[in-house]
Amino acid sequence: MALSKEVYQAFEDVVGPEFICDDPAIMPSYHKTEFAAVILPENTAQVQSIIRLCNRFKLEFRPVCTGWTGTFKPGVLYIDLRRMNKIIEINEKNMYAVVEPYVITAQLQAELMKRGFHLNVKGAGVNCSAMLRGHGHLDQSTSGDDRNHLAIEWVTPAGELVHSGSLGSAGEWFCGDGPGPSLRSILTSAVPPGVTPGVFTKAALKIYHWPGPTKFPVIGTSPNYELSEIPPNFMARYFSFPSVEQAWAAENKIGEAELAMELMGFNVAMVAANISTSNEEEEATFKRLSKEVLGPGFFVIIAGNSAADFAYKKRALFHIVEAAGGQSLKSLENPRTEGILLCQCIRVSASIRETFRPGGMFKSIPVMGQRDLTIKWAIGAGKAKSPLIEAGHIVDDGGASFGWGVEQGHVGKTEIFCKFDPMNPVAKEAVQKWYDEQSARAYKENYFALLMPGHPEDIGKSLSNYHVWWNAIQKELDPNRVSPEAGALV
Amino acid sequence: MGLEQYKGDMNMCCRCSACKFIPMQKISGNDYSYVCPSISRYNFHSYSAGGRMNIGAAALANGPTYTDRLLDIVYNCQMCGACGVSCNYAMDMEVMAPITEFRVKCVADGKTHPVLDKVIERLRQQDSMVPVTGRRGDWAAGLQLKDATKEEVDVLYYVGCLTSYDKRLQKLARITANILKKSGINFGIAGDAEPSSGGTAYEMGYEQDFLNQASKTMSLIRKTGVNTVVTSSAEDYQAIKVLYDKFKLKGDLKVLHIAEFIPQLVKEGRLKPRKAVNLAVTYHDPCHLGRLAEPWVHWEGQKVPGDRFVFDPPKTYRRGSGGVYEEPRQILQSIPGVTLTEMPRIKEYAWCCGAGGGVSDSNPEFAQWTAQERIAEAESTGAEALVSACPKCEMTFREAAAATGSRLKVYDIVELFEQAIE
Repeated sequence: MALSKEVYQAFEDVVGPEFICDDPAIMPSYHKTEFAAVILPENTAQVQSIIRLCNRFKLEFRPVCTGWTGTFKPGVLYIDLRRMNKIIEINEKNMYAVVEPYVITAQLQAELMKRGFHLNVKGAGVNCSAMLRGHGHLDQSTSGDDRNHLAIEWVTPAGELVHSGSLGSAGEWFCGDGPGPSLRSILTSAVPPGVTPGVFTKAALKIYHWPGPTKFPVIGTSPNYELSEIPPNFMARYFSFPSVEQAWAAENKIGEAELAMELMGFNVAMVAANISTSNEEEEATFKRLSKEVLGPGFFVIIAGNSAADFAYKKRALFHIVEAAGGQSLKSLENPRTEGILLCQCIRVSASIRETFRPGGMFKSIPVMGQRDLTIKWAIGAGKAKSPLIEAGHIVDDGGASFGWGVEQGHVGKTEIFCKFDPMNPVAKEAVQKWYDEQSARAYKENYFALLMPGHPEDIGKSLSNYHVWWNAIQKELDPNRVSPEAGALV
Repeated sequence: MGLEQYKGDMNMCCRCSACKFIPMQKISGNDYSYVCPSISRYNFHSYSAGGRMNIGAAALANGPTYTDRLLDIVYNCQMCGACGVSCNYAMDMEVMAPITEFRVKCVADGKTHPVLDKVIERLRQQDSMVPVTGRRGDWAAGLQLKDATKEEVDVLYYVGCLTSYDKRLQKLARITANILKKSGINFGIAGDAEPSSGGTAYEMGYEQDFLNQASKTMSLIRKTGVNTVVTSSAEDYQAIKVLYDKFKLKGDLKVLHIAEFIPQLVKEGRLKPRKAVNLAVTYHDPCHLGRLAEPWVHWEGQKVPGDRFVFDPPKTYRRGSGGVYEEPRQILQSIPGVTLTEMPRIKEYAWCCGAGGGVSDSNPEFAQWTAQERIAEAESTGAEALVSACPKCEMTFREAAAATGSRLKVYDIVELFEQAIE
């Protein structure tokens, strides 16, 4: 497992002795995995040198940003990108920001708000890399996935430096597709731990108009932060409906009318998590809110560019909700609670409460696609959670899923998860069984196909044999197979 | 129980990295967004609270892997508690407690830091955490203060090792005594009889030495007959108020930091800050007066079996909201001519001065690196002076300001307040 002295020295020569370590004492903190070593490059040149050495020594590597989650195999070189933490540029005229991998979203978002901009924030939270590909609370108005990536600086698994899009032709970051080499189909992922092999060392991200304050007026001490006032022309509400169909109808119409800055299909368990400062409080709040709602629902933030725009959006929103038979959850209209939710769901800072706090772990099935289709699947997946809830294996969230429309709703994200105690082997096994069964059901019943490690061929056959193509591409990109991330073009 | 009692907490760490940053909602830009000096300086995840939790959990499961690197990780932490505040915004788990217990375990296993061993040896021999120069009560020469061990007083002014012995800082003891005198409070000092509180020894992992000092200090306090102790040392304040309570040694003793006491005295009309002190300042919250000073919460119970990490009876976590944050600001705002501009990292998420947890002894370079970060942050406010309420902070900042050529003046809060009172 350990590197020879010569190999270690070669890597040390790149970064210096302070930034490489293979001491067994540090390994428990790195995903409990015995890596060959952990190395901390400072810049693109060092990343390139490291990857070239990996090719020379046939050593597999895994690059990692904030490293929240991931599954790793022992013996690989762990490239920890935390020293690459600079905001390179915020281009207000062309509306993009260029960042290194370890700029977290909270940092970039704060800098953007000062300048009248914001960005798509992934549901995982602002503690994650700003470069991260994914979806989140603000997808309704800021899109998601690779749609927010413009030009990218990429060190390939072979150690080549590639500049995509306009960066490759003109040294400009404004476009990922051209003029210049468009690699969108290959650079489908974002940053480690993602699925594109190699390392993204810089990326330009789309930024969006922000009609709010330069910073939120957060007062109080942790964990009791609240807003001293609701910013002008902002409103946050939770609407519930008698049925899934009615909620979905309202979600569609809100998207069509382009009303919402944020439409997050939170279930009440997630709302309860957001506004509670402890597990006990969360459980009690969930029970209380469950009695107050009509049924499924969603959380909406509207933000007006002017008082008149705000008045119109507010009026139209309530009209749509009322027409769909929905109603606002009164207890969340309290300005204190509204402020907490408003700030937390824009500066996405309570995802940890929603996921890890109750039991210590969660297992999720997230899917992109047609919302009406994925919602139908999620209802079944939710019902399948009931026995686990009754047995006390997972946290009671009412069996609910959540989701939201992307780009005002013409595609959408649906997700469902189980929260459990990872130290409980029975619970762990039950959750895994649920995960496997619901993933398989999604494919068998033609809802969608998840990438299931170990079974690429089953799904690949249904998707133009993507796995064959991807393997061929990967072989070209990574001739020595040192970047073991399997690709996903699904 | 030691580390074992925090097994569940350590396993709860989800590696979200919140512990590395100030609370996410408070991040106001790319600068000054980190909160943990250790991960900021040493970069490997192992130096963060999350990494320490992971290492602690592995040590429980498989036995600790003692290497030089592990000890480097263990002792290069100021034990400032900022990680716990950021974590506990979202998570229900103990953070500082297992990190402290891991140090205690290292010491119990004989895996100590040689420099800290010498500090503790001095404590055992000379009853001081800092080099002894002269007699402990020399600072009070000529002040004609009451000897609380012999005369009846209402309040004991506990001075602390650093302020007592360090020639540069003895002025703080004299100023504090002068303020108390002007207030008309019937107070006294223990002079040469004052023992070290031992708080820093606990942070260093030497639990038994701490308990010995706590016992001595409480014996002295009982001997004086007072039920109120006032101190100008944030570390000793936290030790007597919080740590002694943790070990059920404090009883009903009232412990006040001078920064808490002054606003009371002003309110009672005993002190009147009327003279102008024209100075633009920024205020540094000492860890031991801020988040670490949150009262101890006694709790005994068990995890409720099942899916949630909840306990019977419910557990109240110390999340940093109960520190002394407002009173020092009230003092500064009460001084005519003083204008206060806040730094980006304040109160429960303040950046540490760098000197805590024995780091000023074991790794002065790291302490200075940390302090210099704070000096730069203070300078960014445009203030002329950096004010704190802890002698160790003042000492560390003065050195850092000198080393960086900073124009900032460094004061303890009592220095400014004394100038303002009649």
